[in-house]
Amino acid sequence: MSSTATATATAAPTASAIQRSQVDLVDFIDWSGVECLNQNSAHSIANALKQGYREDDGLNVESDADEQLLVYIPFLQVVKLHSLAVKGPEEEGILVNFLCTCPKTVKLYSNREHMGFSNVNDFPPSDTVEFSAENIQAGKPVVLKYVKFQNVRSVTIFIEDNQSGGDVTKVQKIAFFGTTVETTDMKGLKKIEDH
Amino acid sequence: MVLEATMICIDNSEWMRNGDYTPSRFQAQADAVNLICGAKTQSNPENTVGILTMAGKGVRVLTTPTTDLGKLLACMHGLEMGGEMNIASAIQIAQLALKHRQNKNQRQRIIVFAGSPIKYDKKMLESIGKKLKKSSVSLDIVDFGEEDEGKPEKLEALLTAVNNNDSSHIVHIPPGPNALSDVLISTPVFTGDGEGGSGFVAAGPVAVSDFDFGVDPNIDPELALALRVSMEEERARQEAAAKRAAEEGSSQNKGDEQSSKSQDTTMADTTGATAATDAAEPMSEVDALLQQAIALSMQTPASDSAVRDTDMSEANNEDQDLAAALQMSMQEGEKDSSGQMDMSEVLEDQAFVSSVLASLPGVDPNDPSVKDLLASLHGKSESADQKKDEEKAPKDDEK
Repeated sequence: MSSTATATATAAPTASAIQRSQVDLVDFIDWSGVECLNQNSAHSIANALKQGYREDDGLNVESDADEQLLVYIPFLQVVKLHSLAVKGPEEEGILVNFLCTCPKTVKLYSNREHMGFSNVNDFPPSDTVEFSAENIQAGKPVVLKYVKFQNVRSVTIFIEDNQSGGDVTKVQKIAFFGTTVETTDMKGLKKIEDH
Repeated sequence: MVLEATMICIDNSEWMRNGDYTPSRFQAQADAVNLICGAKTQSNPENTVGILTMAGKGVRVLTTPTTDLGKLLACMHGLEMGGEMNIASAIQIAQLALKHRQNKNQRQRIIVFAGSPIKYDKKMLESIGKKLKKSSVSLDIVDFGEEDEGKPEKLEALLTAVNNNDSSHIVHIPPGPNALSDVLISTPVFTGDGEGGSGFVAAGPVAVSDFDFGVDPNIDPELALALRVSMEEERARQEAAAKRAAEEGSSQNKGDEQSSKSQDTTMADTTGATAATDAAEPMSEVDALLQQAIALSMQTPASDSAVRDTDMSEANNEDQDLAAALQMSMQEGEKDSSGQMDMSEVLEDQAFVSSVLASLPGVDPNDPSVKDLLASLHGKSESADQKKDEEKAPKDDEK
């Protein structure tokens, strides 16, 4: 299962992943609800998600107690997810595959609130992406199973392991690309004043 | 004041029968638990606390996280001691209970009372700690009771595994003269990372020093004495006024109004130094009402007389403080005697006064005592009366 996912992930035309009308969904993230379990408090998820922070190569989100990370991202409105770009820190040297702390297996769950590490295995992920070391260091967007992400209010990213198998996973950037669905913006609704 | 859901793990094993903490380990633990429940629910009304027992036949959840302090205190009753403490399962079950809390915005905290020896090894405890840390659960450990070899080290290892940014704490309490709860109050278990609980602790001494007049006699005895004397004088004067008012024949309602009005008047007396003669005393209640009416009338134009009457009665019942305030402000502006004179002029208008009295619920203008009162007043011009009546009503409308 994961091998086919890998095949589709790496064989897909990643260059054209950012097609016309696919926008970077960072503007639609509901920041008040973003949560990340097992993050190191000095290196928080904002470093990987927020505009500006994620472009900075020096700012990463790091895992704390072990190598797994669980990120919950709610959106301000319903979106369709097209592709995902994950970038890990660049590691120099021959032993890049042994030292690389970039994520390897990433599972995505759509519309599941408040997941914990204990119930990630309770239901199947909407999509699984397995990154190779080159891919993740380049940070190229990977096309997702579009049909599974048609009606997304929130997405949970479970980073299961990293390239090197070590205790710390570092992620420099996480970005989603997709389109929005016409949704009523509840904040824009104004009460009609009675006379 | 951090919003938190807490699970308290109680040790009710056989080791709790020991009496090295007075009256027994179990009782000391129960007192501490009660205090913690109170402190948590007080520091933030939305905080929830749950309780589970670790020993006995097995780990048992007594209450899931709830805001109801009564329920928490009640389930501490009737607990039985026995068996061995199972700290590993207890912590995991506590974590599960927290996971299913209703308000997901609450932070998660587990408080463990470890009073008996721990049979698990360090590694197991560390892996449990790691799981807690991953799920961002904080852990407070109270190490008391049985002093077992290796127990403090195991608990310290557990703490280091869980600790994230000093949100978890451990407290070692050896047996001694102080009660378990007293020692705990000063620790971060209670004070919650330095905030919150300090409010609870501070509330204690403040509440204790609640003197009658807000002044500590130890600090300022003369002031305290002066306040007490003036308070007693007030009371005496009020009683005299009430007695006189009662003599003039009043229904229950009017009596209430009068006593409260006389209170208002006496307040005015103390602040405004009114030279109130004895004769003026019984009229002072009506004074207040009329002064209010006049103040109202100074302001806006006319309206319905029916409205006026109901408004007046409402004013009677509701605005006695307002009447007092108005009276005080009136008296500041003018001489006391002249104020009284104006009042008596208004009172002189029999028709006006009787209409006012008629609107007072329970007052019968035909009552002989009321008639006597009216007889003591002189008449006043009708036009002035009507003008005042009209002006009264809109004021009440504004209210």
